[in-house]
Amino acid sequence: MSKPNLSSFASSIQAAAAPFRTYLTELHEKYHPLTDGKVADYIPELALAKPEWFGICVITTDGQTFEVGDCQIDFTIQSISKAFVYGLALEHHDRAYVNCKVGVEPTGEAFNSIVLDEKTNRPYNPMVNAGAIATTDLITGKDATERLKRVLDLFRRYTGREHDINVPIFLSEKATGDRNRAMAYLMRNFGMVSDRIEETLDLYFQQCSILINTHDLAMISATLANGGVNPITGERAIAAEYVQDVVSVMLTCGMYDYSGEWAYKVGMPAKSGVGGGITALVPGRLGLGTFSPPLDVKGNSVRGIKVCEDLSRDFGLHLFNAAPAERDLDEWLSGSGVADSW
Amino acid sequence: MPKVISIHSYRGGTGKSNFTANLATTIAQQGHRVGVVDTDIPSPGIHNLFCLEPEQISKSLNTYLWGEAPITDAAYDVSANVGLVDDSKLFLVPASTNADDIARILQEGYDVKLLNDGLRKLVKGLELDYLLIDTHPGLSKETFLSIAISHVLALILRPDKQDYQGTAVTVDVARQLKVRQMLLIINKAHSKLDKTALKQKVEQAYDVPVAGVFPLSEDMAQLASEGVFCLKQASHEISQEFQKVAQQLI
Repeated sequence: MSKPNLSSFASSIQAAAAPFRTYLTELHEKYHPLTDGKVADYIPELALAKPEWFGICVITTDGQTFEVGDCQIDFTIQSISKAFVYGLALEHHDRAYVNCKVGVEPTGEAFNSIVLDEKTNRPYNPMVNAGAIATTDLITGKDATERLKRVLDLFRRYTGREHDINVPIFLSEKATGDRNRAMAYLMRNFGMVSDRIEETLDLYFQQCSILINTHDLAMISATLANGGVNPITGERAIAAEYVQDVVSVMLTCGMYDYSGEWAYKVGMPAKSGVGGGITALVPGRLGLGTFSPPLDVKGNSVRGIKVCEDLSRDFGLHLFNAAPAERDLDEWLSGSGVADSW
Repeated sequence: MPKVISIHSYRGGTGKSNFTANLATTIAQQGHRVGVVDTDIPSPGIHNLFCLEPEQISKSLNTYLWGEAPITDAAYDVSANVGLVDDSKLFLVPASTNADDIARILQEGYDVKLLNDGLRKLVKGLELDYLLIDTHPGLSKETFLSIAISHVLALILRPDKQDYQGTAVTVDVARQLKVRQMLLIINKAHSKLDKTALKQKVEQAYDVPVAGVFPLSEDMAQLASEGVFCLKQASHEISQEFQKVAQQLI
């Protein structure tokens, strides 16, 4: 980064004063009082999350950042990791090989269902637990440490900062992970995963226990929206040819068994996690991160869904939207033109 | 649509607070709801012109920035203090004059986004037609923010070399912040100056229109910030000049 000067200070002030930030502030105020949903408590560490935590962050593909609320609180990435580890698996092998191990078909089943495609024995997609475990199995490396380092380095490239694992959450996930263990052995029985099952399960529980914040979630999606290159650091996080693979499974399978309705109503490729995070993107434009721990029955953050719905509607961000939007995103981002949030 | 006007000068002593108070009153007199925010946190003073005594100020801009009260709780209706009647309303959000409060905010700093949010809530909460922001001289976070969010930036300068140089710096900053409209106000012009020639010279130098030229005034000095001049002496040439400036802003 260049040293601070008039131009950099002016742009930070302009971001603080941009009508878009005021819009996000009002969105935050609108949904903060919402008390629907329940904080995940299948392990005690997750139950410690405060229901009132609520952050919204948007980062554009040219690096403009808008943050409102609790954007610096760390939480575990959980299922959100699945989409990006899928991209890494594609890089470690190739599309054809990964496709024969994991499908890309939405299931309509819950994320933890024990179900494989009867003909191919493949898990349906990389976002259900079975598919995510099969995907993590594809991460190469000479030993557990090297494989973990590769996953952590993946997220560093996406977010631009170092990431750690929350060890108590990892240990709890591991201790209560019999269902995932059963799925892994079932897949082993069909020859869909390698023999290093315990090592892969450890890596899977570790990748779910990576600590991130709302700002990171926005940056991850902004990187995808920017063709795989982090808009701030300029570092490539994923090969350009695989961006569409990751983004399309996010669109079809990213919101658990709510994905169909999500694609219809919101139309932004997205991935959510039981930690309360959602990362979503508008390809070519921006990445969005939301964080609010109370979840609906399908496991998606209640406030996060509301925020994405409003943003999609108000600025016409649905992928297939053709109608003129109520608000012009460029004007609201820059504060120029007719946008006047007073 | 509410209109936001920032009043600024690069150097101190140009008469910012006096100008702000008189302009706010002149605009309010025409039946408008006007809010004034004193963002001069290190050296607040405009409350004096609106006859608001420090002991009457329980909540201030500082209280809001510390998250201790909504900004509308720190707004004082000073319409009656200055003699405004009927639909004319004037509200002031003062900054704290308490030395501990000033020290605390200087030491801890504050989130400039919070100031932005607060100003917007004030406009909505009090249904203001006009918001005037009185600033601390020089360049600071609050100056940058007020320039960035304003519809109009009024820059006050005296016919003085130090002011000329400083104003050039501020004009550059304002352009960097893509200010929507900029006006210059020349204040304290001594009686021997040719006002028309001065106005032309300044407009050429900065490529910014001069909205008003105010004389160095003994009459204004005699009031000593105890009240708003343009209401006390409505027919005075200074009050007439305020009418002229207000017409260009509303």
